[in-house]
Amino acid sequence: MVLRLNPASGVPLYLQLIEQVKHAIETGAIETGEQLPSVRKMAEDLLINPNTVARAYRDLEQEGIIELKHGSGAFITDSVTARAKIMTKAQTIVQSALDRLALFDLTEEEIRRLVETELSSRRAAKSPRKKYA
Amino acid sequence: MPESVVAITNLSRRFGAKAALNDVSLDVPRGSVFGLVGENGAGKSTLIKHILGLWRAETGAIRVFGVDPVADPVSVLSRVGYLSEQPDLPEWMTVIEFMRYMQAFYPKWDPLYAEELRRQFGLDRDKRIRVLSKGQRAKLGLLGAQAHRPDLLLLDEPSSGLDPIVRSDILAAVIRTVSEEGRTVFFSSHLLEEIERVSDHIAMLHQGKLVLCGPLDEIKAQYRRMTLRFETQQSTAPAVPGAVSVRGAGREWTIICNQAIKPIDGSHVIDDQAASLNDIFIGIAGGVHSLA
Repeated sequence: MVLRLNPASGVPLYLQLIEQVKHAIETGAIETGEQLPSVRKMAEDLLINPNTVARAYRDLEQEGIIELKHGSGAFITDSVTARAKIMTKAQTIVQSALDRLALFDLTEEEIRRLVETELSSRRAAKSPRKKYA
Repeated sequence: MPESVVAITNLSRRFGAKAALNDVSLDVPRGSVFGLVGENGAGKSTLIKHILGLWRAETGAIRVFGVDPVADPVSVLSRVGYLSEQPDLPEWMTVIEFMRYMQAFYPKWDPLYAEELRRQFGLDRDKRIRVLSKGQRAKLGLLGAQAHRPDLLLLDEPSSGLDPIVRSDILAAVIRTVSEEGRTVFFSSHLLEEIERVSDHIAMLHQGKLVLCGPLDEIKAQYRRMTLRFETQQSTAPAVPGAVSVRGAGREWTIICNQAIKPIDGSHVIDDQAASLNDIFIGIAGGVHSLA
């Protein structure tokens, strides 16, 4: 499992770490029952504050992705693998959509903005304003 | 034991006409990694020298582990490890002689740990300090600052001018220190990426004044970086109430703000994201400049 964090981005490091652990599970880089490095080892490997790692692990535990066992470390839970399979399928859909968008010669930023706009308009559509519909 | 390892209240210091530190108050919580940022000459080293008790507070007060470092240097310094930008090492000694020399100063010096660090840093025990490279000197300085397992590790621009490998050794040392229960690190750097990696608290000095201080997560959650697109070309920076800085040209302007800003007529937001420390730093330093 290779994790890369970017401190210069505005995204907090613990969120980046959570995303990357999830990504590693989705891609099969780590599997059910496998163990994540200890907080201290992870902090030294990534050169980040141990509290940041601990916070990410706590959040991952709350989401049910890992199980923290005292003294023996963090383990990937079973239920995650099923989810990972769905994510792998979803990823191929995203890939093919991006392949088609490549024809329009858009920048990454423009694509990201399109996705964001689409998502937020769907959120707006879902919110309770049905009276006017 | 007090919750604050370092407590500074209303500290001011003048050098001639120049206010090097202007009414600075801050607390360094126990167990934190406290990053101090600021441009050259902002007062970072001056502040660190006060914490070490090398300078007496002209006005205000400093307490380290609850005591005045000028009044009781022995009790403070025995619990502090200090590495400066250019460590002042005895040039004529060999590495191993230096280690024995340091051991004599610190009753709590751990020779096994010192030896482990020496190996880890790849320092040749019989080499004279005079012939060590800049990176090797920094590592030896770090060894000297760490081998007595200080409760407070003070690093003043520790990685200035060093290559990335030595820099990551220094960061790893910072992480090792805080991994040990209850130890605190205070370090200054102009490399914001480093500060952002390892700090949980930061403070920013600008022209001797403390312009930002608090938990890094809170600060980063508070500041946003927004890009506005105007319908018409703007020849001067548009006035944005509540913005820390406004930069740009023509129709696109980027603002850094720490509060919600009102929509501005004739413009719309095309990008809105959390600001990086670099955005905040340049925003504040630049913003204050333009008002001067």
